[in-house]
Amino acid sequence: MQPSDEGRAVPGAAIAVVAEILYLANLLIAPGFAFALLLLLFLHRRRDVPPLARSHLEQTLSASLWAGLLLILVASLILVLGGMHGAHTWVILILYFTLCHSTLVVFGAYGLAKAMAGQCWRYPLVGRPLARGCREIRWQ
Amino acid sequence: MQYSSQAVAKPYFIAAIGLFVGQILFGLILGLQYVLGDFLFPEIPFNVARMVHTNLLIVWLLFGFMGAAYYLVPEESERELESPGLAIAMFWIFLVAGALTILGYLLVPYAGLAQLTGNDLLPTMGREFLEQPTITKLGIVVVALSFLYNIGMTVLKGRKTVVSLVLLIGLTGLAVFFLFSFYNPDNLVLDKFFWWWVVHLWVEGVWELILGSILAFVLIKTTGVDREVIEKWLYIIIAMTLITGIIGTGHHYYWIGTPEYWQWWGSVFSAMEPIPFFMMTVFAFNMVNKRRREHPNKAAVLWALGTATMAFLGAGVWGFLHTLAPVNYYTHGSQITAAHGHMAFYGAYVMIVLTMISYAMPMLRGRTAANSNKSQVLEMWSFWLMTIAIVFITLFLTAAGILQVFLQRMGENPLPFMVVQEKVALFYWLREIAGLVFLIGLLTYVASFFVGNDEPEAKTAG
Repeated sequence: MQPSDEGRAVPGAAIAVVAEILYLANLLIAPGFAFALLLLLFLHRRRDVPPLARSHLEQTLSASLWAGLLLILVASLILVLGGMHGAHTWVILILYFTLCHSTLVVFGAYGLAKAMAGQCWRYPLVGRPLARGCREIRWQ
Repeated sequence: MQYSSQAVAKPYFIAAIGLFVGQILFGLILGLQYVLGDFLFPEIPFNVARMVHTNLLIVWLLFGFMGAAYYLVPEESERELESPGLAIAMFWIFLVAGALTILGYLLVPYAGLAQLTGNDLLPTMGREFLEQPTITKLGIVVVALSFLYNIGMTVLKGRKTVVSLVLLIGLTGLAVFFLFSFYNPDNLVLDKFFWWWVVHLWVEGVWELILGSILAFVLIKTTGVDREVIEKWLYIIIAMTLITGIIGTGHHYYWIGTPEYWQWWGSVFSAMEPIPFFMMTVFAFNMVNKRRREHPNKAAVLWALGTATMAFLGAGVWGFLHTLAPVNYYTHGSQITAAHGHMAFYGAYVMIVLTMISYAMPMLRGRTAANSNKSQVLEMWSFWLMTIAIVFITLFLTAAGILQVFLQRMGENPLPFMVVQEKVALFYWLREIAGLVFLIGLLTYVASFFVGNDEPEAKTAG
């Protein structure tokens, strides 16, 4: 199928969009639960979906795992090492968390825009190499 | 340029950029006064510098919105502007009134200015952001009504599009809500309550409609995506803006003497205020990803995408950071508010005006669609310099704010205000350095208008 405009979708675009929405939901409104759904989707569908969907599933899962590491583990580490009562702990923690979290959300917004346009996209720093066959998908 | 009357936008854009430079210079003076309290005292006291900094921001953004409307509306309505002569006359009236007001702030003590301008007859002065003498406010109303007449008649007599109608609603709201600046009750609670009807319902209400419509216009022009697709997005974005923004006014009512239910209404609705900004980010990137053509004006597309991203971060994320009542109980009026204000104004409104200027100015200066590559490269440098600088200004102010809240408002032995100010001075110095980088970015932006003019226009790649 040659996509050129609205109403004609690239194969796998729907799953790609769902993957990006679950990634964002995990960061914004349903942490943990949305990740579980994303993991289930990844485990059940990654082998039988078109390259576009596979790519977005891989990217969002990888980014979600990084998000868990960066937002839970590193933040906890800052708190434990700095101590609850240190003023500078809170300066560093709040700045770190806000910056890190909002950057990951913006990545998700870009990812969602790419999925809606039927394009692959690699998350900067926290994404995986693009799935095979991804680079051939382009809007005309 | 399709219609000759679009040319009236040019002086508005030039004035906007000139006043922007002034705003940033006073911002740098203010930044220094935070750490060197008597800098330029008594010539320019802190309160005066602050007033000039914020008032110049408002005035140059209004010049920018008006210029944007004068450029956009004829093209959308497919007809000449109702009265180009009126637009030019109002430009000079607004510019002279604005300049006189700023000179008044700088040359006359504020109380004397109030007396000189007859504030006793209809007292409206002395409130943050609405410091203008009553006579200036009346001038603003005359300018706004003439402007609305001009734009409204052009829209009503021409083709009606979603973009022009949303813009018209936004501009009408801007004029209507400004009228509350004339309502100045003795009761301080009522005063603050309705003061926010100007301030909040402008920046978190009707101005977002103006932002959305300008962004939609530039994206239609630069991406070639079907108008219908962009208009659907615009409908949803402005609906979410109004749903969340109007009752979201409640986040200003937590501690001013209004009933407690505002803590719930304000928290719930303003927590949703990032949604339209998030949608704007997805919208802008989605449209650019689906573009049907490569527009030669890369700088305008960069500004458009930057607006969508920075508005989400500044207005959305940094707003959410301190909008819930239990958090705001501690953070209210701290440097966290200043951090939010800087990034939100830059991301949402400064950048959208610069987006429009970037898109329209090449045509207003006789180009077909875009400036030369050399000019665009310099403009894109200015984009990155100013944007990175504002990110750092925001981060340093946020750090100062967190420390301020922790030391001054939490714990068993909170420190006095001025003691805390000394302890956060390092962040103020860092903010000042970032401010200097911003100024360099702005000067680079101005320089981009004078560079590469004799070189050929940039062509579409591929």
